[in-house]
Amino acid sequence: MTPTAAAAPAPLSMKQVLLCGAMIVTLSMGIRHGFGLWLQPITMDRGWTRETFAFALAIQNLSWGIAGPFAGMLADRYGAFRVLIIGSLFYAGGLVLMALATSGLAFTGSAGLVLGLAQSGTTYAVVYGVIGRNVAPEKRSWAMGVAAAAGSFGQFLMVPLENWLIGSFGWQNALFLLGCLALAIVPLAIGLKEPAAAKTTGFQQSIGSALREALSYPSFLLLMAGYFVCGFQVVFIGVHMPSYLKDHGLTPNVATTALALIGLFNVVGTYAAGSLGERMPKKYILSTIYALRAVVIVVFISVPLTPMSVYVFASTMGVLWLSTVPPTNAVIAQIFGVQYMSMLGGFVFLSHQVGSFLGVWLGGRLYDATGSYDVVWWIAAALGVFAAIVNLPVRETAITRAAQRAA
Amino acid sequence: MKLHRIAAWSVATLALLLVFAAYLRPELAFTLANQLWNCF
Repeated sequence: MTPTAAAAPAPLSMKQVLLCGAMIVTLSMGIRHGFGLWLQPITMDRGWTRETFAFALAIQNLSWGIAGPFAGMLADRYGAFRVLIIGSLFYAGGLVLMALATSGLAFTGSAGLVLGLAQSGTTYAVVYGVIGRNVAPEKRSWAMGVAAAAGSFGQFLMVPLENWLIGSFGWQNALFLLGCLALAIVPLAIGLKEPAAAKTTGFQQSIGSALREALSYPSFLLLMAGYFVCGFQVVFIGVHMPSYLKDHGLTPNVATTALALIGLFNVVGTYAAGSLGERMPKKYILSTIYALRAVVIVVFISVPLTPMSVYVFASTMGVLWLSTVPPTNAVIAQIFGVQYMSMLGGFVFLSHQVGSFLGVWLGGRLYDATGSYDVVWWIAAALGVFAAIVNLPVRETAITRAAQRAA
Repeated sequence: MKLHRIAAWSVATLALLLVFAAYLRPELAFTLANQLWNCF
């Protein structure tokens, strides 16, 4: 062993981290994205209402968000690869149990709770911790962009693939096959196993202290506020836009093509946002993304609704879709360092999920109350302006700690 | 190095276009449209 290696073990290579991390996120984000395709076959076969299915997916989103900070904590403390392996086993187990569930409660437990926990252990926050610790700071934003683009590609890819699996093998066998696919995360996670000292070099801080520090730091709260808006807008549009188009007399093909365009341009946008983060302050990227979302929404609801206006909206919104993910996480790493990156990323994501929940719920609630989506569209646009403003005062410089000052 | 970059970008673009084409296939478009519309 060389003296250098003894002092500080070499981190994982960037290629290895990116390849394994991107493939993990492609699988974990992709598999869940096509769950809507099971709505019809499962509810028809089991004789359940749509509410049973929808309730399980709502629980999945909530448990994903709530478990996120804890999965992040475990990843930061015991190693991301362990959390990824457990998450992968939960993912496979949850999919098998989802296929075998014969009661609404069992379905909620498997498709809802277990798969939500699985996602918290296999998605961005956990993988970003490894990227943060093993990629040089000047390349971090780009690397996070690559991983986020892989996740976006997974979402885009898995819908047609899962549709083909259901058509070829039946809905139950398709879930078993997806369970096998989820197990592919295990060998990929081993590629993200960090040398023990890689996590313990430099300034050391307890979990509680890191959490208190972040939650009392205004810039962290501003990032959480921005991410809340991201969740609200994306999920409101994803869930309610087809109904909005139907209300305005557009054909089903328009909605399908719009979703495909969002998926396509989402990959481009997430990669571009990560790359831009290398060259300019990330708070300006985030502010611009939210401001553009507000502008795009206002233009969309102000011009006459035609298939072309829907496609232009879907394409531009696609570019802005998950492009907030790399800059938000890169700023967290920049301010607080990478020791507790997964946990802090999990907290910000929890705020995203609360926004998602409100976007879906308020969309339906206000539609029922007013008979149209107009009010919610305007709320979504106003929130975009709010997020654009609150990201501007974010301080991207590394936090100076009392313990570090004393040292 | 430049050739590698061009090859990587070409593969990525091709993959994206292939998946996009999959969405436009009538059977997927029909299923998706059905699922979307039946939800509301």
